[in-house]
Amino acid sequence: MQPVTPIVNGTPREVVVEPMQTLLAVLRDQLGLTGTKEGCGTGYCGACTVLVDGQPVNACLYPAVDADRRDVTTIEGLAADGGALHPVQAAFIERFGLQCGYCTPGMILAAASLLAENPQPSAEQTRAALAGNICRCTGYQTIVAAVQDAAARLREQGRSGETPGTRSSIRSRA
Amino acid sequence: MSTPITVGSRRPRLDADAKVRGQTRYTADIALEGALAGAVARSPHAFARVVRVDVTRAAAMPGVRAIVYAGNTPPQPLDFGIKDQHLFPRPYARYAGEPVAAVAADSEAQARAAAAAIDVEYEVLEPVLDAQRALEAASPLVHPDWKSYEKLPTRVLRGNVCGYNRIRRGDVAAAFERSDVVVHASEFRFSPGLPGYIEPRAAAARRETDGGLTVWCGSQSPYDNRDELAKFFGLAPERVRFINQFVGGAFGGKIIMAPEWYAAALALQCDRPVRMAWSRHEDGLHAFPRHGGTASFRSAATADGRLVAMRASFIYDTGAYIGYGTGTALISTMLASAPYRIPDLDLEATLVYTNKHVAGPVRAPGGPQANYAKELHLDELAALLGLDPLEFRLRNAWEDGDRGPGGQKLSGVRVKEALRKAADAVGWGTPARPGSGRGIACTWWFSSCGESKARVEVRADGTILLASGNPEVGTGASSTALPMMAAEVLGVDPARITVVLSDTATDTYDSGVGGSSSTFGAGMAVAAAAGDARTKLLALAEDALEARTEDIELRDGRALVRGSPDHSVPLADLARKAGGSVTGLGESAEQDDPEFDESLTETHGFASWLAPSYTASAAHVDVDRATGAVIVRKLATAQDVGYAVNPVGAIGQIEGGAVMGVGWALTEALAFDERGHVKPDLKDYLMPTAVDAPEIETILIESSPGVGPYGLKGVGEPPITTPPAAIACAIRAAVGAAPHETPMTPERVWRAARQE
Repeated sequence: MQPVTPIVNGTPREVVVEPMQTLLAVLRDQLGLTGTKEGCGTGYCGACTVLVDGQPVNACLYPAVDADRRDVTTIEGLAADGGALHPVQAAFIERFGLQCGYCTPGMILAAASLLAENPQPSAEQTRAALAGNICRCTGYQTIVAAVQDAAARLREQGRSGETPGTRSSIRSRA
Repeated sequence: MSTPITVGSRRPRLDADAKVRGQTRYTADIALEGALAGAVARSPHAFARVVRVDVTRAAAMPGVRAIVYAGNTPPQPLDFGIKDQHLFPRPYARYAGEPVAAVAADSEAQARAAAAAIDVEYEVLEPVLDAQRALEAASPLVHPDWKSYEKLPTRVLRGNVCGYNRIRRGDVAAAFERSDVVVHASEFRFSPGLPGYIEPRAAAARRETDGGLTVWCGSQSPYDNRDELAKFFGLAPERVRFINQFVGGAFGGKIIMAPEWYAAALALQCDRPVRMAWSRHEDGLHAFPRHGGTASFRSAATADGRLVAMRASFIYDTGAYIGYGTGTALISTMLASAPYRIPDLDLEATLVYTNKHVAGPVRAPGGPQANYAKELHLDELAALLGLDPLEFRLRNAWEDGDRGPGGQKLSGVRVKEALRKAADAVGWGTPARPGSGRGIACTWWFSSCGESKARVEVRADGTILLASGNPEVGTGASSTALPMMAAEVLGVDPARITVVLSDTATDTYDSGVGGSSSTFGAGMAVAAAAGDARTKLLALAEDALEARTEDIELRDGRALVRGSPDHSVPLADLARKAGGSVTGLGESAEQDDPEFDESLTETHGFASWLAPSYTASAAHVDVDRATGAVIVRKLATAQDVGYAVNPVGAIGQIEGGAVMGVGWALTEALAFDERGHVKPDLKDYLMPTAVDAPEIETILIESSPGVGPYGLKGVGEPPITTPPAAIACAIRAAVGAAPHETPMTPERVWRAARQE
């Protein structure tokens, strides 16, 4: 057992984990952040996608010990502090980019991270960036439209390239 | 009914805000105080007689609180029309992965360790892993004691055959002998497929202090599940409460209970709740896949392209138990010749037991299979005649006044319109590049109403509650279309309506999500409940506004006198006058199928369809001749939906169905190894990702009203039934031939292109 302190949605959370414990288990079972979903547990479906230092990872494969002192953004941390939706979230609602909603948190975080790196992705680039996230309900077309719509909103708001989620202000790591 | 305001408009889902924030609760998200973890012990053999189950060693292990198995659970069989299955083997385990026991322990690791420590003595038997083999006289029997089974009189059971139906009209043999016809024959093989929902199944159960039982689940039919479970354990149904959560996709795979059984059986023996959240792998070990099978077709047409006869025979592998497998066979014979005018028909379908997983009613059971075979077969016949595939279909497609396979007289037929619109959307008739091709396919489908109850409560605090027993499985029917329909009747914003998820404590029975019936059956009940509330509100408003009922309308959350909008009263005030709330109740009943000609059918209980809908899909594909790889560039589906309550919801169903169809056509195959062990993991079972999904164009046809509210027809199933067929025909157009086996992998396409 080992204490680790991931910075989850801007707040350092000290947890004690076993060596092989996944970040997904810590988020869901220890921290109660059930917005992150387990779809396959083997890194194929992407439902458990969270951002670690802004990069999308499969939380079902990511060792919790590796998240020590890193910024972890889950779906619960994507909206602004006052609750205002991130443009990707808003666009998923308006463009009907979800149905059952189970892949949605992972899909939205993967999309948000794409837009942080590429403010104006083509449809093809969008599909490629989301290829690790399986959706069985929508057929993806509305998801691609939502992401492109969100990209336009971020550009309009001058937020292109912004790292999604609440960033820690007390990070000790360089 | 006046012109609707809310209904028919494009509405974002009312559950979307919670879903994009990660706040929506699915079953595995429920935390129950003091919950134990449940684990299932499964047979490693495709076929075995369970000689002995000894739980002594497991029971003594740390943290173990309860073990259930055949030795301490009720002995009676489950009833799916044929009583061929028990909760735990008595004494046969008939597929690899069949549960033999379940354990509840303090931690999941303890439960798993104890499940592995249950000593089960198996007498291993020779399994039947192939449906063709099962039909041979020398085959072992999957159910050696089948003769002793109770069953419904309408069910066929003889040895390994557990379902059979036939539709026959005219003299097919004579028609094939005619000198003026071209005859074509083809054989097909279909792979079994997973429903592929992303949320693995989960359940939790708690024995209540009053002897009742509460079950948390993500089911498509919580009320029927509740009744079945209560009956099995000898509990009064009203003492058993099923609380359905948001469901992370279902597609027909969550109709039959699975973890609910084991969580409940364990909880009844514990004084703590039991929670069971299956991994993807375990979910796959207990999956209810789409039927695999084979089909043979033989058809005749005159030189000018008029179909005169068809013989078709399907054999479906239904796995170890009948479950809800019957529909696949019934529907297949209804699709085999449709929607074409063919005077002489002989269509049959057989369901066969094997030692594999229980095949189930996955989204449009039989639809993708039968249409793929039928359309590719007819495409090949058209090619032999030198006819354009679209023109050939248009020459033979049903029109008003034609009769369905079972003799049902048809009206409001929209096949030709659907064909033309889908074809136009992919540029039919314009030149295609080498290696590129377009294909088209069409079909029909039924509407089904189901049985449903609903309650609408307009409350003095300004809230409006809607309780329907219809589960929200992702389609948006329950979360969005139903409140839209209530809002229309009550003259309120649908966002003001709070939907209570299906919960048997609300006593609003619903026969469940299936048969594309939610917006239809539950919608009728909701509209009736809202109508009942409306009548009561108008009566209250009559006094409050000193106006006559016929002069009062409900709008923007108020009752107001027509022509003098200032003269109004909020609905909340009327609820207060009524003592706190105004409640409306409504229900819908199963609607009878139209008449059909029984002299044409044999053991067929579904030979006519209520308010049929018509769908066509066209595909544009590129095929790499060197590798056989297929890229679907575009899929267009034109679907007769009757009326779209929420057009974006209907389009969402059609787009999702299209891509599910791409998967079944090209990559998805539920594989079994030589021992009958299933390979359900996502590294083996390849579902389409965003890069595999084509551009999709959807055309809604709303000119042929059905019998649902506002004239709607069922929407969810048809869109997966035509895309695989259209893709197959497009491959044929591109390279001259298409594989007669799904999935149409690169190797199979490459071989087909070389005419191997």
